[in-house]
Amino acid sequence: MTLHQSITAPQALHPSLWLASQLAHASTRCVDTGHPTLSSQLPGGGWPTGTLIDLMLQQSGIGELRLLRPALAAGRRRIVLLQPPHPPQALALAALGLAPSQLIWIRTSGTSGSSDALWAAEQVLRSGSCGAVLFWQNHARGETLRRLHLAAHSGETLFFMLRPLAAAQDSSPAPLRLSLRPAPGGLDIEFVKRRGPQRDTPLFLPLPLPLTPFLLQRHATLDRALFAPVTARSILSELVQ
Amino acid sequence: MPQLPLEVFCPSWSSDGNGNSAGVVLEHERVLALSAAAAAAGVQIGMRRGGVLMLHPEARLYERSAEHEAEALHAIAMALLQYTPLVAEAEEATLLIDIGASLRLFGGIRALCRGVRANLRALGFTGALSCAPTARGAWLLARHGGGRSATMASLVRRLDRLPAGLLPPARPFAAWFDGIGCFTLGEMRRLPRPGLQRRCGAALLDMLDAAHGMTPELFDWIEAPTTFSAKLDLFDRVEHAEALLFGAHRLLLQMTGWLCARQLAVGRIRLQLEHERGRVARAPTVLEIVLAEPTWRDEHLLRLLRERLAKQVLEAPVIGLCLEAPQVQPMAPPSESLFPEPGGSEQDQLRMFELLVARLGPDNVLQAAPLADYRPELANAWVPVHQQIRAAARAAQMPPDVLSLPRPTWLLAKPIALLMRNERPFYGSPLKMASTPERIEAGWWSQSQTRDYFIAEGQDHAHYWVYRERLIRVAGVAEDAAPRWFLHALFG
Repeated sequence: MTLHQSITAPQALHPSLWLASQLAHASTRCVDTGHPTLSSQLPGGGWPTGTLIDLMLQQSGIGELRLLRPALAAGRRRIVLLQPPHPPQALALAALGLAPSQLIWIRTSGTSGSSDALWAAEQVLRSGSCGAVLFWQNHARGETLRRLHLAAHSGETLFFMLRPLAAAQDSSPAPLRLSLRPAPGGLDIEFVKRRGPQRDTPLFLPLPLPLTPFLLQRHATLDRALFAPVTARSILSELVQ
Repeated sequence: MPQLPLEVFCPSWSSDGNGNSAGVVLEHERVLALSAAAAAAGVQIGMRRGGVLMLHPEARLYERSAEHEAEALHAIAMALLQYTPLVAEAEEATLLIDIGASLRLFGGIRALCRGVRANLRALGFTGALSCAPTARGAWLLARHGGGRSATMASLVRRLDRLPAGLLPPARPFAAWFDGIGCFTLGEMRRLPRPGLQRRCGAALLDMLDAAHGMTPELFDWIEAPTTFSAKLDLFDRVEHAEALLFGAHRLLLQMTGWLCARQLAVGRIRLQLEHERGRVARAPTVLEIVLAEPTWRDEHLLRLLRERLAKQVLEAPVIGLCLEAPQVQPMAPPSESLFPEPGGSEQDQLRMFELLVARLGPDNVLQAAPLADYRPELANAWVPVHQQIRAAARAAQMPPDVLSLPRPTWLLAKPIALLMRNERPFYGSPLKMASTPERIEAGWWSQSQTRDYFIAEGQDHAHYWVYRERLIRVAGVAEDAAPRWFLHALFG
């Protein structure tokens, strides 16, 4: 009887077992993504902490920070931006809910820039004193990724690696890999790798720009009738001083 | 320190010390101490110089230097001050430390001995370590190779088995002791006291009594000086900065001991790398390390020094090191909280940033300090992470309503001029304006132009922050010059 049960429901045997049609249980604490449609597609219902999360972007500036905003803004601890492609703007991040006092921008320069960045990432992850690390790296070899993944294991830091879309072809030790493409009014998220069923269609996540109403151009501009030209003597002489 | 005469010349961490080359120390033309490699070649204590050179022609011969030994012993004493304030120098290259009050703090006798031994290794010396309830007893055990006795009874048992020649006052009478068949201290103690005192003097009996705890012992405890400055002469020319780390560690250990003894924490250290003196003299290279959080532990300082030395390019070989602690303040031990914070304390974070700064440079580890300025490129200021900014000062620079400003996440370091196709700016694809313009004035005192910013959307649905330069009508410039468009930022 018990043997029969365990064969019909093998996923009940151990928390790290799951059926190919199910999402896995989370092995670490997860931070809610803040987007319910996305959370329902992730094992554990959020971004896992203490692991490497691979995000492959078509290009930077497509809404990647708007995607991560709820998770980053949830913690009050420091957020390290490591080697971002462009200088981050503190006011914009403040508008996203990340206080300027939380932000640390680490940039590298010179020939040893890449190895310095990897070293810095490992130091930050091992110290575990920061809430989140966002690491932009264009080329990363498998063993460096593995090393960073292990370094992330030593703490509860939320660790995202943002890489170009081409990196989706390479293997990675990250248990969660998403590729992001811009879509009208939001992002198309493709699940390159997750502990769960294969999903072929990308998930559309609406992420509108946080625009103030006065800047929103809701309608196309129309040609307006000009004011009627003032002809002579059309105004009462009493009104003219 | 049985190997002290040798180790002042080739410390155990240097390539000479670990058995690659033979080092021999001579005193009065006789061998006094020798390295393992020399012993393997057949050199023995008491040999003459010629004999040594015949057995091992490449052996390095040194004259014994009493002042080097005294300096080294003092350096070790300074380092040991971190365990107890009671450190005394004793005869025959021995140090006595009173650890009675330190056992609990350092986690017991074994942990303490491990720590002392590790420190000695880092300093470049080997030592025989012993612990006993009496200082003289510990001294005797150490002279015989070390050992631990926690109780008086076991100490007496051990002492009774030691050779009689260990006590310095007994050495002139060694032949007489041999003659009467008294080979151990136990047998010496059983001799009649009045006779022993008459023949050998009162010093011998005093020492025996002190070892057995029957007379009180008095010591001159070493006092830590009021300022710290330690020097180390390297016996080689060092050309790689990383090789200096061992020497620097030794100096750091001395400083740790001094800081603990004086109950101070250091806020700034200065390491001077001394170059060749004489005709080709060069000014020493100075490395300064400023700490955000004063410390009195050497691990963090050592990590910082390692990163700094790895970056340092030496212009000339280094022959000496000098460490100073120019800025100290009273030690403030951390108050441990019952429930530790998940991300480590603020000090842990500061320590991590210091480490990053040591390798990457202060200009590459930045924190946000937005300025109250309407020009986005000036408002977006980032300053080194060490700069102290009060929360109130930061808040005062922020706009009252952050959400009212449509600011993009990534501000390009330099705006990119956009191509025009079909009267539309083009960046990968034609850009479609998605917002009404926001006019940002120029600073009239500077050169920049008034700009009209738009949020544009490309055909790939990514959003861009572009601006159109407002042309200033100047005589001579064509009236119908096409407006120039620039890409300034990306919406992340």
